[in-house]
Amino acid sequence: MEKPTLTSTLKALLYLAPALAVLITFTVYPILQSLLLSFYADYDYFRDIVYRYGLDNYRFLLQDPDFHLALRNTAIFVLGVVPASIALSLAVAFLLNSRIRLRAFFRTVYFIPTVTSIVAVAIVWRWIFHSDYGLMNYVLSLFGISPIHWLTDPKWALPSLILFSIWKSLGYNIVLFLAGLASIPETYHQAARIDQASAWSRFWHITFPLLSPTTFFVSIVSIIGAFKVFDEVYALFGGSPGPLKSALTLVYYIYLKFYREQDYAVASAAAYVLFLITFVFTLIQLYIGKKRVHY
Amino acid sequence: MIRDALSKGTIYGLLFVGGGLMLLPFFWMLSTSLKTPNEVMLMPPRWFPAHAEWQNYVKAFQMAPFGRYLVNSVIVTVLSTLGELITTLLAAYAFSRLAFWGRDVLFSLLLGTMMVPGEVLLVPNYVTLSKLGWIDRYEALILPWTASVFAIFLLRQHFLSVPKELSYAARVDGAGDFRFLREVMVPITRPALVTIVLLKTIGSWNAFLWPLIVTNSREMRTLPVGLTAFTTEAGTAYELLMAAAAFVILPMIILFLMLQRHIVEGLSRAGIKG
Amino acid sequence: MRVELDAVTMRFGDVAAVDGLSATFESGELIGLLGPSGCGKSTTLFMLAGLYRPTSGEIRFDGTVVNDVPPERRSIGMVFQNYALYPHMTVFDNIAFPLRMQKVPKAERQERVLEMARLVRIEHLLGRKPAQLSGGQQQRVAIARSLVKRPKLLLLDEPLSNLDARLRLEMREEIRRIQRAVGITTVFVTHDQEEAMSLSDRILIMEGGRRQQFAAPQVMYDRPASRFVAFFLGNPPINLLSARYRQDGSVLVFPDGTRLAVDPTPYAGLDDELPVTVGIRPEAATVQAPDEIRSLDDTGHFIGTVAYRETIGRDTLIRVDLAEGVLRLLVPAHETPPLGARVVVIPDRTRLHLFRESDGRALHKDTPDDAQATRRVG
Repeated sequence: MEKPTLTSTLKALLYLAPALAVLITFTVYPILQSLLLSFYADYDYFRDIVYRYGLDNYRFLLQDPDFHLALRNTAIFVLGVVPASIALSLAVAFLLNSRIRLRAFFRTVYFIPTVTSIVAVAIVWRWIFHSDYGLMNYVLSLFGISPIHWLTDPKWALPSLILFSIWKSLGYNIVLFLAGLASIPETYHQAARIDQASAWSRFWHITFPLLSPTTFFVSIVSIIGAFKVFDEVYALFGGSPGPLKSALTLVYYIYLKFYREQDYAVASAAAYVLFLITFVFTLIQLYIGKKRVHY
Repeated sequence: MIRDALSKGTIYGLLFVGGGLMLLPFFWMLSTSLKTPNEVMLMPPRWFPAHAEWQNYVKAFQMAPFGRYLVNSVIVTVLSTLGELITTLLAAYAFSRLAFWGRDVLFSLLLGTMMVPGEVLLVPNYVTLSKLGWIDRYEALILPWTASVFAIFLLRQHFLSVPKELSYAARVDGAGDFRFLREVMVPITRPALVTIVLLKTIGSWNAFLWPLIVTNSREMRTLPVGLTAFTTEAGTAYELLMAAAAFVILPMIILFLMLQRHIVEGLSRAGIKG
Repeated sequence: MRVELDAVTMRFGDVAAVDGLSATFESGELIGLLGPSGCGKSTTLFMLAGLYRPTSGEIRFDGTVVNDVPPERRSIGMVFQNYALYPHMTVFDNIAFPLRMQKVPKAERQERVLEMARLVRIEHLLGRKPAQLSGGQQQRVAIARSLVKRPKLLLLDEPLSNLDARLRLEMREEIRRIQRAVGITTVFVTHDQEEAMSLSDRILIMEGGRRQQFAAPQVMYDRPASRFVAFFLGNPPINLLSARYRQDGSVLVFPDGTRLAVDPTPYAGLDDELPVTVGIRPEAATVQAPDEIRSLDDTGHFIGTVAYRETIGRDTLIRVDLAEGVLRLLVPAHETPPLGARVVVIPDRTRLHLFRESDGRALHKDTPDDAQATRRVG
């Protein structure tokens, strides 16, 4: 490319101006402002005066039982959703990849939940989870299992949320796995076949290792996404974090502090904790992802 | 290869059962939405309503201002998608074809912001919009979403794959940058643009947390926000609730069924490139 | 249009891609810019197009300095190596694009596109998209698009390198025909010496951003200005052997003791004991069996063994291993000695090329180089 000059820089700025105006105002500035806000220790928000900066908000989080609960619930949620979702979507992707007819049809079917509004389908699931008239309990009753209070029993709130989220997340992961499978050259399988490797050993020694970059990528993306769960909780429990806060997640906590309690500083600190957690996984992806994931 | 390990019948069987489970909630939504209140509460449940109560849709539509929600959702989706398309086209062109000082630094900086979860931006953006007096107005629902680093990144990748010689040829032929962008780059990268527009449309239509926060009045709610409010308004009238959910869900499913190739391929590409 | 390059230099960072290049192309000439990759020939073309701005020096079109004139106002047409056809437009729209940019009225546009299509013989393809065309057809469309503006200078970047061997021959003739028909000053870039030799009126050969020689193809082949030019032109390439010149007896002495008499008169600076590189073209020597040498003195031949032979059409290429070094020679097919035969190689003394070993410059007094740009007076 040619060397930049004053004229070419001004011209480029003209092209960049609309995007930069939006991104600086609504992305870059808030990132910095939020960080600053999380250190407001003593302030008068309405008059925009800060008397003292400090770690008070983070200290508050450290001893706030609600925050601990939110962290714990979020961690359980991530552990409950991600491995199961990956295992299931991997299985479906393998089945779809076996050069059957109706492949496109099935892919569409599995992908539909991905394009639908989380809130809307969560409301449908609310109905399915209904203790008295829900489809779920009816089906369980056929197997002699007595009704479960899916959404109103604190013990069952998180499992319900996890179940719903797995259903919702499958389609996207399947599409990524299918793309990953498609990028594995057929020749490897042919070679292995000539070497008389059985179907299962071809799977374990060829397909699975060659798919590892995709699996790794899907895992990281899923983990980061799962840490940010909010819409599902809000809609499934009708605008509450579940019975006795049993489904209080990290973002729900941020929402409560910010929107319900107007405690902007604590909300910002909690948001930065979320950032820190997702950042760790981003770093893992950037550094280990590049080196270790192949064969 | 799996085919050698499992019989064809097993594969189809598994896929059909799984597919059925994926679609069951949608079926149940539609079925319930056409039942009478009494049918809804039947145990054991009835899979199909005795006869279709289409009236439920009219009732739901009248019980809450769903017409208004729909208009709002359409306005917000169309304008933020259009806005993002324009800012993305211009910025991606600058990052892929124009020489300017600090280009790489600026681009890395923008990419860096992709690591920050959107939740971090909530509080300051809310404050900014309050100060501008835009809370509970379309500006708040639309403006923050009219540019996306991810879309710029994606389109820039596509622009970079267009041979440089085309830019040179266009210059020799007398086309300026804007002309070249409009007449050559846009048509050539149309599949990528369609993907970007579709992903944005789906995301914008389904967006929830932000519209929830910046709307106070009923008149400004988008469909998903209106729908959650309706869950308290409808109480136990699940047939109406399901009809309302269908309003929100069906447009995106129809859009997807019509244009799924672009969505699925676009997502695969974006996903693989990371 | 007359094109002058006057001490033109183009730097990318610390690297001078083109370094003080001067040359003048006369109106209507077909000029080949030849050199290995990275020699600066494409950069030169891009500077002529106005896509790059020279770091220093002047480019003049008909006497006017155009350094700061943007490409669209230079009255040039350009064909790119990959043709750079707009993939979403039909052939017609591709050719019409430059006219549309000039806001030429529709009727005239139509007429001129058709005229061009006829010239490059693609009238029947106007409705197709570039992807539906063969390489040669795409090339024709690209040429039509570049000429439709009626430019005064046509620039071609490696025009034949994306074509297969047979098409290349065909398009070579076509480019020549079209250029003659339009009478436009044309500059094309190539790394293929055969292409440059067959197509150009004159060749400007470059290396390391500098001009090596600028002359008509045959002149350059017969009188290369440097070892580089001699080696670059001709296939199979010229044989290069190291030797020393000995004034006593006017002989070249090779490391293995072989001596070769030369006539020193056409050469300049042929000092005693000067290390030289001797160039022998593959066709500029005869090969004989050893028993035929009795009549010759011992200062006119090499003795070696045939180590390899390969028939190429009428001739056979043989490799003769000498005590030090090898010679690749073309001999008539029916006179080819068998493998392993001891042979005598007698170079044609009048066609020997001598280069100074140190810098590779030719020692011949007459190595034509039309280099100097006519300096503007006043």
